[in-house]
Amino acid sequence: MLFFQKMKGGGKRGPSRVGYSEIAWSWIGAFLGITPIAFISSCFFHNTDLVFIVGSFGASAVLIYGAVRSPLAQPRNLVGGHILSAFIGVLSYKLFYPFPWFAAAFAVATAIALMHATGTLHPPGGATALIAVIGGEKIHVLGFMYVLVPVTLGVAIMLLVALVVNNLAKNRRYPEYWY
Amino acid sequence: MFRLEKYFPTSDKNVLASVLILIFLEVKMKFSLLNECRQSITEDDIYEAMKKIPGYLDITPSDSMELYRAAFDHAMSTLKNAIKADQVMTRKVITVSEDTALMEVVHKMADNEISGVPVLKEDGTVAGVISEKDFLKRMNDDKKPSFMRVVLQCLETKGCIAADFKNLTARDIMSSPAINISVQTPILEVADLMDKKNINRVPVVDNQSRLVGIIARSDLVQTLCSF
Repeated sequence: MLFFQKMKGGGKRGPSRVGYSEIAWSWIGAFLGITPIAFISSCFFHNTDLVFIVGSFGASAVLIYGAVRSPLAQPRNLVGGHILSAFIGVLSYKLFYPFPWFAAAFAVATAIALMHATGTLHPPGGATALIAVIGGEKIHVLGFMYVLVPVTLGVAIMLLVALVVNNLAKNRRYPEYWY
Repeated sequence: MFRLEKYFPTSDKNVLASVLILIFLEVKMKFSLLNECRQSITEDDIYEAMKKIPGYLDITPSDSMELYRAAFDHAMSTLKNAIKADQVMTRKVITVSEDTALMEVVHKMADNEISGVPVLKEDGTVAGVISEKDFLKRMNDDKKPSFMRVVLQCLETKGCIAADFKNLTARDIMSSPAINISVQTPILEVADLMDKKNINRVPVVDNQSRLVGIIARSDLVQTLCSF
């Protein structure tokens, strides 16, 4: 009975909607954070075999520009979560590529476990791990290089923008803590 | 002098004030009320408070409330243990020994304007306590001795009911065994003890059970108000 009771939810509601300035700053931050990565990607990496942008950056943008105070959005989580997950993703593909479904599930699950264990939980990390497996030939040929470019480099750029933009806003402060 | 700041290292007067209020509530009004205080914060209060903080808070109001209550409990247990008996007790204690004549006890209490004295054994340990209540008990047979009962008895018999005191010593009327506390007893436990045992002062003893101080109800109140 308790099992079903739990499905009803305990609290009354979620947090209130944020103010307009918060919405505006989220938009500005995300726009400025994704711009350099997307720009470099489309101008310089278009005709190469390299990749400069991955989908999980969009997810990170939600956190580091839209939920600045969240523990999940702090530098330790952003950087640690992505790097660890990228590594796990590549490793998982290399070990289990004959069984793509297994490699994908194993990558994400292990990434979450590892992020938890290291105190670097960052939801987009799950996507980073998954992309290493299901991202196609272009990603696969990168091998462990995937951890450095695009992942680490992209994350570094986004972090830099977050530091600048979030601290320009009157009501924002970033990070809450570094490590 | 007792400084609250020492135990709660913050310069924020508001924080200190609320800590003080908590202690005061605890001592004066007991746990039931405090618990009410803790329970009175609703999810709506938390929701409104969260709205005041700019930016997206990555936590639900119900989780915040859980957090608040857990923090409240933690703060209370810290408070309960923060201030120990030896920080508020009176060190210069007026005492009598078991063999002190009751007349002298009465004199000491009257001259020093105190309503109770610890009675010491020869080795400095506490044998018991004599308070006004013990005299009242002696002066009438009623199970609930009070000053008015004594007055009543006095008016009805027209005799001095304290007459037989002359041949007694402290040992004869003291309440014993004494209820002692150690120097390390948190004062909120002391307050609790006073309420439960219905006493107004309690001797403080060291490891060897020797008297080192005394805490009266008024000491507790003074501690809180001197801040």
